[in-house]
Amino acid sequence: MKKRRSSKTTIILYLAPAVILFVMFILYPVINTIYLSFNSWKGIYGSPVNFVGLTNYKQVLQNNAFWKSLLNSFFFMVGGFCVLMPLSFGLALIITSKLRGTKFMKTAFFMPVMLSTTAVALMWVYILNPSYGALNELLRALHLDGLAKDWLSTPGLNIWSVVLVNEWMYAGYNMLIFAAGLVSIPGDIYEAAEIDGCTGFKRLRYISIPLSKESFKIFSILCVTGCLKAFDLVWAMTKGGPNHTSEVPASLLYNEAFTYKFFGKSSAIGVLLLILGVTLSILVNRLLRREEE
Amino acid sequence: MKRKIGKAFIYLFAIFWTVMTIFPLFITFFNSVKDNKGITLGMFTWPEEFMWSNYTQAFEAAHILQAVGNSMFFAITSTLLTIVIGMLAAYILSRKVFKGRGIVYTMFLIGVMVPIHCTIIPISSMATQVHGKNQSWFLILVYTAFALSQAIFLFTGYLNGVSRELDEAAVIDGCRDRQILFRVLMPVCMPIISTEAILAFIAGYGELIFGMILMSDQNKYTVARAMLTFTGGYKVSLGPIFACIIVAVVPMIIIYILFHEKVQEGMLTGAIKG
Repeated sequence: MKKRRSSKTTIILYLAPAVILFVMFILYPVINTIYLSFNSWKGIYGSPVNFVGLTNYKQVLQNNAFWKSLLNSFFFMVGGFCVLMPLSFGLALIITSKLRGTKFMKTAFFMPVMLSTTAVALMWVYILNPSYGALNELLRALHLDGLAKDWLSTPGLNIWSVVLVNEWMYAGYNMLIFAAGLVSIPGDIYEAAEIDGCTGFKRLRYISIPLSKESFKIFSILCVTGCLKAFDLVWAMTKGGPNHTSEVPASLLYNEAFTYKFFGKSSAIGVLLLILGVTLSILVNRLLRREEE
Repeated sequence: MKRKIGKAFIYLFAIFWTVMTIFPLFITFFNSVKDNKGITLGMFTWPEEFMWSNYTQAFEAAHILQAVGNSMFFAITSTLLTIVIGMLAAYILSRKVFKGRGIVYTMFLIGVMVPIHCTIIPISSMATQVHGKNQSWFLILVYTAFALSQAIFLFTGYLNGVSRELDEAAVIDGCRDRQILFRVLMPVCMPIISTEAILAFIAGYGELIFGMILMSDQNKYTVARAMLTFTGGYKVSLGPIFACIIVAVVPMIIIYILFHEKVQEGMLTGAIKG
């Protein structure tokens, strides 16, 4: 019988690549970010790092742009619950119904999420262009000139344009989550309901929605934890501007570091983002997953 | 009667959203073969003549084909690495009892929650220190590291559901750990492996932020970076920009059309379990 490698060596050998990558690219950077957040640094390798205590945090928390960026993240969440959720659920109802062509629709509805976020963002940037963009052209053709706006440069409007493009992109993806819930509802429940005269909207109200509770939970978890991670779409569409009006925390962090070279301040944003992100994840998971037991 | 109106409404909405999803792609395509005059006249108008030269310009000025190739390479290699490294770790976490197992597992679990954006500054300066800027291997390792936590989480969960009798039988047949993992368990885990492969590949191909901070050499640009640089410049011709976007999305559309059922299934599993 061949001699076996001791189990301990195997454990270390097999775990090593994963642990090394984790420590190098996640754990160490996180610790380093926390360290940098208490220092002032210009970001050039070898340039001095000066301890400044809580100054960075003070500056960030007193900065209107930071609070605005948090508000914008909140808008991503609001958009998620008020637009994306009903839309995806509606699409899920359509593709699980007995209509013709549902297979094609399912494939089409889901497609946007496959395209890279940057490509989606750029397609919409040009569609939303104020002078020759397709949306304004359509509005003008319908004699709704008053509604033709500069979608991505008007403060207050720009973030919602980005949020809606986000919903466009992810509607089909979330549709699948709801559709998976809907098809798992046993058919005899619907039959029994039909005998009792429960059809149409009533059926939706008393059967489909309550029995999709699990899907709504999954959606909520993804929506809440996802809203802080928004970056790609914002960056590719507006770069957070004009004048920080469409900034989200991640884009603010990027701008502070790589545009303005305030690496300490940027790290402080990073730490706040980290605390917020992990707390939200744990909170929303606890809140929604506990009920299951 | 009421029912018919309801049905008609549902049909209308279904058609509306189908048009909504496909239309932006069509508009982008039609404008990619127009000149500036044609575009500014109106994005909706049919191109008077198809200017395929816009594509040549996109290839030559934006190096978009090279960028697509780069992103494909980064995405594929990091996906393969994620699967191998993830399976090695998941095998240990699921099958071996040792001190610190809980800690290691919790560590990866937290890894899923860490927002990647708060790691960009240290990773950028680390790249400078180890000469990893503009190096494919560094970017691939970064992609792998960020896909890994989720992979380990999914793989371990799946392996825990695979009967241990399988391993025991293999041990009796004289298999070692390596053979148990790669010959016996890996084939059984194919469904979850393909799920993770899809997730990691899509994420890798479209990735933006690390491509932006780590690659400044145009020959190493990722698709996202190449598109943004090209559109961000003070270019006067719009057609090539649209051509660029079309070239960037075509590979994903082809992959999607070929494997759409598998992709949908994979993304769904990723969403529900992740």
